[in-house]
Amino acid sequence: MPAGRPGPAAQSARRPPPLLPLLLLCVLGAPRAGSGAHTAVISPQDPTLLIGSSLQATCSVHGDPPGTTAEGLYWTLNGRRLPPELSRVLNASTLALALANLNGSRQQSGDNLVCHARDGSILAGSCLYVGLPPEKPFNISCWSKNMKDLTCRWTPGAHGETFLHTNYSLKYKLRWYGQDNTCEEYHTVGPHSCHIPKDLALFTPYEIWVEATNRLGSARSDVLTLDILDVVTTDPPPDVHVSRVGGLEDQLSVRWVSPPALKDFLFQAKYQIRYRVEDSVDWKVVDDVSNQTSCRLAGLKPGTVYFVQVRCNPFGIYGSKKAGIWSEWSHPTAASTPRSERPGPGGGACEPRGGEPSSGPVRRELKQFLGWLKKHAYCSNLSFRLYDQWRAWMQKSHKTRNQDEGILPSGRRGAARGPSR
Amino acid sequence: MSQREGSLEDPQADDSVSLLPHLEAKIRQTHSLARLLTKYAEQLLQEYVQHQGDPFGLPGFSPPRLPVAGLSAPAPGHAGLPLPERLRLDAAALAALPPLLDVVRRHQAELNPRVPRLLRRLEDAARQARALGAAVETVLAALGAAARGPWHEPSAATAAAAAAASAAGVFPAKVLGLRVCGLYSEWVSRTEGDLSQLVPEGPA
Repeated sequence: MPAGRPGPAAQSARRPPPLLPLLLLCVLGAPRAGSGAHTAVISPQDPTLLIGSSLQATCSVHGDPPGTTAEGLYWTLNGRRLPPELSRVLNASTLALALANLNGSRQQSGDNLVCHARDGSILAGSCLYVGLPPEKPFNISCWSKNMKDLTCRWTPGAHGETFLHTNYSLKYKLRWYGQDNTCEEYHTVGPHSCHIPKDLALFTPYEIWVEATNRLGSARSDVLTLDILDVVTTDPPPDVHVSRVGGLEDQLSVRWVSPPALKDFLFQAKYQIRYRVEDSVDWKVVDDVSNQTSCRLAGLKPGTVYFVQVRCNPFGIYGSKKAGIWSEWSHPTAASTPRSERPGPGGGACEPRGGEPSSGPVRRELKQFLGWLKKHAYCSNLSFRLYDQWRAWMQKSHKTRNQDEGILPSGRRGAARGPSR
Repeated sequence: MSQREGSLEDPQADDSVSLLPHLEAKIRQTHSLARLLTKYAEQLLQEYVQHQGDPFGLPGFSPPRLPVAGLSAPAPGHAGLPLPERLRLDAAALAALPPLLDVVRRHQAELNPRVPRLLRRLEDAARQARALGAAVETVLAALGAAARGPWHEPSAATAAAAAAASAAGVFPAKVLGLRVCGLYSEWVSRTEGDLSQLVPEGPA
């Protein structure tokens, strides 16, 4: 058993003269003095120790009446009496304690080591801090909302369990000049996160790192270098509307608005749509909805309620070459496909551009053509609705879903043969 | 206290009658506040011991009841004193508590920084003690019995003494905090009991 010294990394929190504060309490006008005749001092006071290390402590009694001895004194740790074989009487007024292979502290305020008189009264106490130094934090990730701020998250080393209060400090500085700054708003998106709300520069790289400190030491993460423009995210697209496409039982039209905070900068925004049947947890995702604010979902089940969400990735903002960061999904919006006896196949793609009436050059031309036909060719049944029904019929009868970009196959003009309304 | 009946033609009686309902309302409010704070003080004590670790929360835990500079527990003879004297002592104790609770909160901010609820409760307790003390003094003044008890407005030395006690070590700081939270609970409970003797009978 080691001779009476705490572990190599131990630090005592405070070492004042132990009796002075008690005297202060008595002198400063307290109406009644304490009745405890015996007092004692534990040494060391509030040591800090590594897990697995040993501790030698003493309890020295100052008795009144004189002649108080250490006989009958005993120790408790966190309220549990320690076995007598761990203690020994050093001299008439001092009881020693030897603890080996200490476990991590049970609470962050410190383990309570208490010296008791024979009658169980408390003579003195000392708080032990047993733990580990922090390990290097890692996995720092950061994002900027609309280029206005920066939020970073990290993973503490050793899964965060040091058994001691460990302080994490996110630091940042401009790479080539400037002083170190310390983030001040912690725990914004979880326990190991920090938010820098303002005064951030664009087009110049920042260096970001995390410092972890506790009573047993400190550790520093690797430095992350980034430009704010490379980690921009934004709000979900607002005003998401989902509506039926006429009577088409397997299609829904989705429209949204470009996120307003970045609308003047979103030259290359990407969008993603996901949708699911009302009572399902499986989402289908439509990727590559590039830089447009509408989409038609096709191949849906008729007479079914669908929930739809949209999100935005403002990649390429101000010329950034990085992938960008997806926004959160918009609030779910629901709509139902018209009811039909014929089930439709599943699908997962947007309809080609121009899938909406009066949008896109092809449909505009088609509309004009149909209008002309009605006037000159006495085809009174012609309408966009009929055209859409024909398209739906075409989808069902083809195996592959590689539709051309809204261009009608040559030779197929006029009224479509398809399912009747 | 019973409501005095007075004639509406008697101007003095008018004043007395018009003041009484306000005073009674104030007494009821203050008593209700004291009752509420009694419950909060118990919750604070429970939360406090929970975060200091055993043996603080164990039954039978009895640390030395060291005197706290500037404040003592209600004396055993408190209940036998005249009511105005009791209320003066209550008000004085409530005035002495806030700086002590602030010291405890600062200690706990170092010992338990990840327990914001405890820190918030300690901060609220200081504010609530101040409010209740002021309300009791208002009632005393309305009853024509305003005067401070033996404890004066806590001085910087008092708070410094409490801080110095905790500088002796973490365990004494924990004990001090327990003592202060206990005193807070005792005094708001005592105040509630004393005010209950002033509350007029019957519904508010």
